[in-house]
Amino acid sequence: MSSNASVFKDMRQHLMNGVSHMIPVVVTGGILFAFATMLSMSTVTTEGAVTASNPVIDLFKQVGGIGLGLMVPVLAAFIANSIADRPGIAPGIICGQLAVNVGSGFIGGIIAGVLAGIVAEQIKRIKLPQSMQSLMPILIIPILTTLIVGAITLYVIGGPCAWLLSTLTTWLTSMSGTGAILIGAITGAMIGFDLGGPVNKVAYSTGVAIVGTEVAAGANCAFFGPIALAICLPPIALGIESYLLRGKFSDEERDAGIGAIIMGACGITEGAISYTTADPGRLIPINVIACAAAGGIAGALGVYCNAAWGGLVVLPVTSALTYLIALAVGIAIHAGLVFLLKKDYVKPETVDASDEDVDFEIEF
Amino acid sequence: MKILAVTACPSGVAHTYMSAEAIKVACKKAGIDCKVETQGSIGIEDEIGPDDLKGADAVILTTDMPIKNVERFEGLPKVKVRAGVAIKQADALIAKVSAALKDRA
Repeated sequence: MSSNASVFKDMRQHLMNGVSHMIPVVVTGGILFAFATMLSMSTVTTEGAVTASNPVIDLFKQVGGIGLGLMVPVLAAFIANSIADRPGIAPGIICGQLAVNVGSGFIGGIIAGVLAGIVAEQIKRIKLPQSMQSLMPILIIPILTTLIVGAITLYVIGGPCAWLLSTLTTWLTSMSGTGAILIGAITGAMIGFDLGGPVNKVAYSTGVAIVGTEVAAGANCAFFGPIALAICLPPIALGIESYLLRGKFSDEERDAGIGAIIMGACGITEGAISYTTADPGRLIPINVIACAAAGGIAGALGVYCNAAWGGLVVLPVTSALTYLIALAVGIAIHAGLVFLLKKDYVKPETVDASDEDVDFEIEF
Repeated sequence: MKILAVTACPSGVAHTYMSAEAIKVACKKAGIDCKVETQGSIGIEDEIGPDDLKGADAVILTTDMPIKNVERFEGLPKVKVRAGVAIKQADALIAKVSAALKDRA
């Protein structure tokens, strides 16, 4: 499919392909597992040692646990799939699980996935006689790739990655007080900055990785609290403001208000994009400040979220009251800033669209 | 003129559909025939088949994610653009693309 240089050039796409396929797995597993934690009444301390005291809890726990456990293998498999097409899947999923088993977690999984893709792509180039060509995709490529990448995962990247992850985990678990406020503010600001774009996804993926690795212990779920509420803050705030501060929004923006609130409640930050693109100079800083403030407050209050998703849909698995307080304060700050800074809406004069600069490439 | 487009994004729930919508609206405004396929997390919808390819002048592909089944567009001019740019500047994008196509013709 692609040459070596372009593997690195398109790395973002490959990683995003992995993240994209991982999200449904993590969300399903995370929410089900979080319900198990909640039903067994141990979320009060967030030290969610789930005790399977009845069949219902046991169901949630087992199903959710499998989902969370598959997070890294799926991530690795679809990174490899993006680089090397279908022959990448087997080595990716196997080496992804291996990375988990040796304790190198999501960092090891990403490396394993990338390596599996690159190695599979290289092995594809070996020319075999026509009679044996059909052996390549189902036998030779996956087996050789898995062996090679498996050995690297086990003996080369396993140790350092496990060390890195445990250091990161220790640091994040030990954070409290000002540390938690700072982390909450930074992750919140990242989520609010580009509303579903690359910066947002970095914060989200880091949060997901930490929920995934530590959800059984529960201690690090505080990390995801600020992220979860920053995810829904901009769309909900802008939706509400389109009704409260009528003069500052166009009719179309008001029509989209309910939609934005619903998208926010469902944990889709992208609901705020249409508003933000109309006035990026003011709204991007306002989104960032409000999300950072809410994140900081969430850090201070120890807001947690046991599912790897945001919005109001995850409310049952968060520290509901403090979660809502932090969110409400964030929305109030957002509304206050919009009230002070955003100019009243005036119908734009039609501009000639062909005069704008557009960033695109065309290949004939 | 007829323009095809395929959109996709990492979460597969928002940018995919917003950019598809923006491209459709912009094409309609510019009086250009268009068909947009979405590759969201629900899977492929409004798939572009062999019939749609007939008479197409170009295909717009978003670059946020690898697009599936690009082989079918072999030989067509390909416009590569971030989904976010397609959402924000759809009118300008369509204007530039059609100008570029006319220049070449």
